Parts: sequence; structure tokens; C-alpha cells
Amino acid sequence: MVSPTNLKISLSYITSRMRQTLVAVLSVTFGISMYIFMNSFMDGVNDTQSDMAFSTLAHVRVYNDVPEDKSNLMAKTHQSDEVVHIRNPRVIRYTENIKNSAGIIDMLSKDDEVTGVAPQLNTNVFFRNGSTKINGQLSGVEPNKEDQLFEISKYMVEGTWEQLNSRSDGMIIGSGLATRLGVSMNDHVNILTADNVSRSYKVIGMVTTTISGVDNAKAFININSARQLNSKNKSYVSDIQVNLKDFTKAPEVAAKYQPKIPFTVEAWQISNGQLEAGDTLRNILAIAVSLTILLVAGFGIYNIMNMTVNEKIREIAILKAMGFDAKDITEIFLVQSIITGLLGGLIGLIFGYVISAIVNMIPFQIANLETLPISFSSIDFVMAFVFGIITTILAGFFPARKASKLDPVEIIRS
Amino acid sequence: MNNHTTQHKALEVKNISKFFYTPQKFQVLKDISFSVEKGEFLSLIGKSGSGKSTLLYLLSTMDTDFSGQLSINGTDLTNKTQNQLSKFRNEHIGFVFQFHYLLPDFSALDNIMLPALKLGKRSKDEIRDSALEKLNLLGIKDQAYKQANKLSGGQQQRVAIARALINEPSIIMGDEPTGNLDSKNTNIVFDIFRELAQESGQTIIAVTHDNEFANNCDRKIVLGDGQLIEG
Repeated sequence: MVSPTNLKISLSYITSRMRQTLVAVLSVTFGISMYIFMNSFMDGVNDTQSDMAFSTLAHVRVYNDVPEDKSNLMAKTHQSDEVVHIRNPRVIRYTENIKNSAGIIDMLSKDDEVTGVAPQLNTNVFFRNGSTKINGQLSGVEPNKEDQLFEISKYMVEGTWEQLNSRSDGMIIGSGLATRLGVSMNDHVNILTADNVSRSYKVIGMVTTTISGVDNAKAFININSARQLNSKNKSYVSDIQVNLKDFTKAPEVAAKYQPKIPFTVEAWQISNGQLEAGDTLRNILAIAVSLTILLVAGFGIYNIMNMTVNEKIREIAILKAMGFDAKDITEIFLVQSIITGLLGGLIGLIFGYVISAIVNMIPFQIANLETLPISFSSIDFVMAFVFGIITTILAGFFPARKASKLDPVEIIRS
Repeated sequence: MNNHTTQHKALEVKNISKFFYTPQKFQVLKDISFSVEKGEFLSLIGKSGSGKSTLLYLLSTMDTDFSGQLSINGTDLTNKTQNQLSKFRNEHIGFVFQFHYLLPDFSALDNIMLPALKLGKRSKDEIRDSALEKLNLLGIKDQAYKQANKLSGGQQQRVAIARALINEPSIIMGDEPTGNLDSKNTNIVFDIFRELAQESGQTIIAVTHDNEFANNCDRKIVLGDGQLIEG
């Protein structure tokens, strides 16, 4: 490939000016380590964001929706040129639940892409303690499956999540809601449903997710207790929450199952566009910043390579006079910049890892974070190296081509 | 074999003309024709601006922008690509310039080996032996492993000559090869050239300002205003 003679000349150029070489190597090192750091940091932020969001949000949700447009309920059955008027229309849903929930859960569980399926029975209720009345949501859950999806046990501040399995009268309550109601552990909370059913539950745990929609307005009970509360049968389910291996594939999975399931199958992106936008924007920002740094590093190398070419111009001329052709000259200078790139790249990989690891230790106690989030992924390291090498090849290519096109006669005679 | 090679002249030019276009059109070489025998030691002289260096670079195949015909050892070199010419130079022409142009970070030996490594016809060990032999011939074998930029001017020029000889070229071209040397070193270089021409039958063409050097050659070619005055 590269002739050993050309390689030897390249190496002599690299070692003869150690300071220049060092500057070139360091600029690549800096570019690549910043690429790794920026991307690991942004990945960390995105992962944290997703973790927080997905602590209550499933990747795909199946539920029984009311018709979207309630202004003309006859639209489906009557022609548009007929005048239909319904006075005081009301939606009467024959079923509020998901029929054949066991079958749907079974079908979803068999998909390779799916990591967990949890049925829920959600009811809007009033939480009451004495004269305090707060509107909120009571979520009937299968404790183990719920924890598998949302890792909610991680957010328990008092009591344990597992107790929901055995306590049919127990309730785990959002910490903000508990404060507003003025209740603490082992106190009783009375709830009132829309159907005017009232029951008391005992607070057996408290949860703080830092998401106010949960902390201030939600409580969990066992799904069987919830069925009892609503006087429903043993397979009654209002929502099915599904988690996937890769949450970015939620729209595809939702689209795949929508035709098979006669209810609404909704990917998280539909109702949470801001999360997806945030993720994407942060990724773009990270890539833009790190590529800019690599570009600057590239100019550094370009500059140093140009200086070397100018410095060695007479040697290039004599090499050409002796019979080295344009290809040899290009090779000599390209190899020089590639070696610089490889060296700087390898050091940059290590350096990037070290910087990221150090930043990962900086305390940052906001929400449920303890240190600044960093998440390492091998693809970042591979991409950093690839981009680094491409940059150095490009930066070396132009000076190398310039050198290969030099006219030896002009140089020797001047 | 011997018969076959002697059929050709070492170098032959026919009706060579060359123009410079900047700053204005100007004819540097006017219809030059001559030939050089094998083993001839020839000097190319003339006042500065007479076109002698320009002619040498045409002969060396580095400058291809001219009209007329050039052949070396019977090979017509007028319509070759740059890469073909590079290869031809590598094998058949040795260069010695006024300045040595050695790679400063390479040892004397490595500098000498370069053209042969590029040619790639011999193994590295053979090339090294041959390079040491050339150094011996030039009387600086003891400097073989010194870095080129640590040698004296005369030694550097001799290393440059050894480098020109490593591929046993049929023609050695010099552009003021002794221009930077004192009279002692000039004499050494002259004697080396003389020996090469006589003993190995290599052709030497040297541009020089030095009249004494020119007068001691086998033949003088004198240029004036781009024309052949004597030769």
C-alpha cells in the first residue's frame, strides 16, 4: 500500500519538527475529546430526560377513546347533503373499557420489540380528607408490571411499592398530594368517584417523581381494588401501557398494532411532542458544536501541513527530480497527516473518556439527579474517531496535492 | 548486447526551441540540435541568460514545455507522461545540483539509498552495500551513518553525487555541481566525474560558470542568446 520509503520520509517529517507535530496532534485530540464529551453529555441529558418522562409515561398506550369530533355524531351514517339536527347531543359509550384486554396483552407481550405490558384501571376521583377536596387520578395497577415499566419503586420516599400487592386497602400517594391533603403515613384518605361511590384507603407509601402531574394529583392502588371500587369484573382494564426496547420506534409499533386493535393505540410522541423535539434539538446542538471544533482542528492541521510543504519545498523538488512521481509526494504528506490524525485520535478517545468521567462526578442535585449526567455509547467513540480521521485526511489532502503539483524546475532554479 | 547499445547516442536533440511567456513572449532556445556520445564528459557554458540551465532542464526531462525532439539512449522522450518521465529519470539520469538538497534528517547512507529504493529493482541489503561502495568511492565512507545536516559542505556535495550514482544511470547531469565548493573540493568532484566517464562509461553533462572546469572537459557546448555557438 504505502511504500516503506515514502513512509520513512513521512516519519522523518513528523519527528523532525516535534513541536509542530505536537500542536497538530493536540488539535485533533482536542477536537475528538470534545466530540466525545459533548455527545456523551447530551446523551446523558437526553437519557435523564427520557428516564424522568418515562417514569410515568409509557412508550405506547392503548385506551378506549371517545369520538374525537362530537359536534356531528351522525356524520358517519348520513350523507353530507342531508340536514341532520340533534338537539343536545351526548356521547353514550357502551363500553368504557378495553374489551378482550387479556387477548391484547397476550398479543403485545409476544412482540420481540416489547419489553413490558401493564394494564391499568384509571379513574378520576376526588381525594377527601375532612373538608379538603382535591381532584385527581386514582390509578389501579398491577404492582409488579407497573414497576417493570416505570421503575416507580425507585421514586418511593416512604413505604415500599411491593406492599401494594398484598394490601387491598392500601394506597400509595404522590407526596405533593399528601401534603395538600394534610395526610401522612398510615392515615386514611377518602375518595369519591364520578359514580358517587366513596371508599377509604390507608396511605402505605409516598412517591416523589418530580413530575407535578404525578406528585400532586395521583395515587396508586391495586388494580383489583380499583375494579372493586368501580364494581367491574376481573378483566376490566381502561388503559394498557406498553414499553419497547427502543422508544424511538414507538410510532412504528403503534402503527403496526392499530389495525389489529379496535381501540386507540398511541405512541408517546403524539401527546409529548416537546420531549421528542428537545431530544432532537439537543442532539443537533451537540453534533453542531463538536463538528465545529473538529473543523477548527482540521484548519489547524491544514495550516501545519501547508507550513511543512513550504518548508520542504526544495526536498520535494529533488525527490521529483530523482524520479518520485506525484503519487509518491501525495502519499508522503497524506501519510504524515493520517499518522497525526491516528495519534491525536487515539489520545482524544482516552482524553474524551476521562473528561466525561470527571464531569460525571460533578455534583448536580436538581430533580432526582445527583451528578451531571453522562452516558457513554460506543457509537459516539466510533463516530468521533471516524470524523477525526476524515477531518485530518481532508486537511492533509490539499497541501499534499499542492506539493505533488509543484514544478521541480521552478523550485530548483529559483 | 554491446553492439546493440553502442548503436544509440547517449543523448540526442533535434531542433529544440523554447519560449518563455512571462513577462512577455521570449524565445530562450533557438533551434538547437546536437548529440552526445556515451562516456563523454561535456560542459555546457555561456553567459547568464544564455539559456544553458534551461537547456539542461529540458535534457533532464523535468521541463517538457518545448518543441523539437529529445532522445536518451535511443528512447524518444518527447511524448511521455509525467509519471513515465519520473520513472525514466529514476532509472537513467542522476542529478547533482549546485546545492546538495539532501534530506537533512536522513543519514548520508539513507539519502543515497532513496532513488534505488524508489526504483525497487534490488533488495534493501544490496542497495545498502552498493551505497556504501559509492561512499567509499567518494572517500567519505566513514560519514555513512552521520545525519546529512551534520556533514561539511564538501561532504554533502559528495553524498549528493553518490545519490546520483546509486542507480548506475547512463547520464549524470549537473547544474553548477561545483558552484558552492572551494577549489580543493571542486577538484575532487571534477576528478570523480572524470573517473566515472572514463571507467564506467557514464555520460556527464554539467552546466558551469567555471572556465577551468569547462576547459578540462572532453567537450564544451557554448550557448549565446539561445543559440548554439560552439559545440
